[in-house]
Amino acid sequence: MAASAVVPRRRPWALWLVVLGGLGLITWRMLYLHGVNEAFNAAFFAGAVVRSLQLGSLYALIALGYTMVYGIIRLINFAHGEVFMVGAFAAYFLFSRTPFSWPVALLVAAAIAFGVLQFLNFWRGRARDPIVLAGALVVFAVVAFALASTQLGWFWAMVASMFVTGVLGMTIDRVAYRPLRGAPRNSMLITAIAVSFFLQNFGILAFSNRQTPFRPASFFTGPLQFQVFGEPLFTSWMIVLVPSVTAVLVVALTLFVTRTRLGKAMRATAQDAETARMMGVNVDRVIATTFLLGSMLAAAAGVLWGMTFGSINQPAIFGILPGIKAFAAAVIGGIGSLPGAVVGGVLLGFLENFLTALFPRTEYFSGITEYKDTFAFLAMIVILLVRPSGIVGEDLSEKV
Amino acid sequence: MRRIAVTLAFALTLGGLALAQGTIKIGVFLELSGRMAVTGNDTLYGVRVANEQQPTVNGATVELSVCDNASTPEGSVVCANRFVDEGVVAVIGSYSSSHSIPAAGVLQPAGVVMVSTGSTNPATTQVGDYIFRIPYTDQFQGAVAAQYAHNDAGASSVAIFRQQDDDYSVGLSGFFKDAFEALGGRTTVLDFTANTVDFSAQINNLRSFNPDFIYYTGFCAEAASLVPQLRQQGFTQSILGGDASDDTQCPDGGGAAFDGFTFTSFGEPEVLTGAAAERAAEFRTAFEKSYTLDHFTGFTLSGADAYKVLVQAITDAGSTDHAAIRDALANLQDFPGVSGDITYVGTDGTPANRVMGLYAYQFSGNSWTKAVLKGISLE
Repeated sequence: MAASAVVPRRRPWALWLVVLGGLGLITWRMLYLHGVNEAFNAAFFAGAVVRSLQLGSLYALIALGYTMVYGIIRLINFAHGEVFMVGAFAAYFLFSRTPFSWPVALLVAAAIAFGVLQFLNFWRGRARDPIVLAGALVVFAVVAFALASTQLGWFWAMVASMFVTGVLGMTIDRVAYRPLRGAPRNSMLITAIAVSFFLQNFGILAFSNRQTPFRPASFFTGPLQFQVFGEPLFTSWMIVLVPSVTAVLVVALTLFVTRTRLGKAMRATAQDAETARMMGVNVDRVIATTFLLGSMLAAAAGVLWGMTFGSINQPAIFGILPGIKAFAAAVIGGIGSLPGAVVGGVLLGFLENFLTALFPRTEYFSGITEYKDTFAFLAMIVILLVRPSGIVGEDLSEKV
Repeated sequence: MRRIAVTLAFALTLGGLALAQGTIKIGVFLELSGRMAVTGNDTLYGVRVANEQQPTVNGATVELSVCDNASTPEGSVVCANRFVDEGVVAVIGSYSSSHSIPAAGVLQPAGVVMVSTGSTNPATTQVGDYIFRIPYTDQFQGAVAAQYAHNDAGASSVAIFRQQDDDYSVGLSGFFKDAFEALGGRTTVLDFTANTVDFSAQINNLRSFNPDFIYYTGFCAEAASLVPQLRQQGFTQSILGGDASDDTQCPDGGGAAFDGFTFTSFGEPEVLTGAAAERAAEFRTAFEKSYTLDHFTGFTLSGADAYKVLVQAITDAGSTDHAAIRDALANLQDFPGVSGDITYVGTDGTPANRVMGLYAYQFSGNSWTKAVLKGISLE
């Protein structure tokens, strides 16, 4: 009786008050800093904003993979950071070592064609469709020939790496997670950590054990300099490229999830896997697709990450920190929710870049830069205490 | 004929057995994987070539027990414990101070001599009387760098990049700061942690200070990200690095942004003088027979000398007793090493009169060379 009496009170003005108040405080702080030191000018803050957006987009792309997998099988896929690492290294080999020798070219082309086959299946729906098989065969021939004869540019390396990494994600699901489908959730979690360690050490043996240059010939990595209210801002074209690629991929993913049959099956599985199975949804295929898409996004993030920072760390450490931070971003936004991952990722980018720019080192204050790696986790703790379902997450009761 | 062959084979077998019985073990722990793998491996090659040159001591064959610390303090402690269990005669290693100090904490109580090949933090040899090193300390390196920044580069305000979770970086930046402020300059310290990739927050902090010189005390895994970001964001100041910047990961990982990047590091044959230069050049010729020259750095010479002083100490001691080796090493005077003369008498385990080199990365197109600018000695 008491429960029915509780009506959720809606206070839209409270949210606006918080947002406007926050913006006001930020503006006041920026003006104050400008008064303290001329170096904190409009270009300084504009630079912080564009870099926040850039870093946030990268976190968002990685966070999407975490949130999709969690949404479908309630698994925190700790190996996702390593999938991101493999994506970056795959692209590195694709643009720096091509043309490949024929055996390597055939092997890589087979992986790419398999990924494309899965992709074509989204549209045709059946596995042994002659059109799909023919399409994959054509892709295989063309890609094998291309890999063996020319050097790939960054864009095609990214696309190829997305398919290779997507197939890797599906393989991880098939080998490590699918045999444990009915097992307790902890078993899956421990397996995920094992896969993560396996990929780290495999990467050291197979890819590199050192800082690796990541500088494909590209217009976008070149310098970009413009004036903000008469002050020069030094940056690169990556500040345009990264958010744009992210936006395109997020829109494509949203369209897939909302407009296609497989996307509908995915949403159904997320709501209730058992019922979805009873309604004729092939749950294993939906899960495999989830891993494919999540890993593809991680690979794209890996390539953009490498191009943004010019070099990539060695495999054992490259994926860990971005991976865990992106996981925190997914929780902040509301794990299981696609818009939540994007919001969480971008918010994290602003926390790490814009917030540190708001509290820079001055004569009297040592700045908060040293603590920026903790912001992601602090924010996660705060969110879990205040609003466990995340900023845009659905109500918790629906999830359990 | 057949009889001779059989006899010969028999004699060889016996000889082999005799040798196998007379082996002594020297433990080598270095950064063979992880973020400092390049320097760790270059050092190991130096140890190996020195071992090929002097494979026996007191009639016993030296066996190297190599342990990879994976560029972590924990790995170094694991290696040190392994050496104690194996009962090694002495230990060589490691490159980084953050890895040498924890291992010294295990080896000193166990009474095993350790010779660090690359640790420059003063604290390393202060762990105890069983701990020695080949290079100079950061007190010297920091002072030299401060003088270079003040006198040669004419700087008055310097931004120091410090890796706050590394003993070497914290020590070196402190000595530089003291020395540079004593010369009348201003400094600010910007902290980062291992494996930082995005330096935009640190670079933001640089804006209001607006330095005219930058001193980098960290390692190349991070410098490869930092230096291109500095250049891209419009900071064109000269950058000076410590000896951790002497690593191919810097120019390979960071690319043309490293053009003109200057750093102080261990002496190479070109910066040494007199007989030491000849010995170093001779060693380089021997090194070339087994490895390619891109693996030859000042750290290689340091690794070779760590092996050579230990062999000398074991010879002088005439036994494999740990205390006797320590005493022999502490009494070493004017030992003709390939990185310069080594004297441990009257020191805390840091040889006097070390020679340091000043180098710079120079780019033409995408290929780079490490140019030798000058040698600097303590006097």
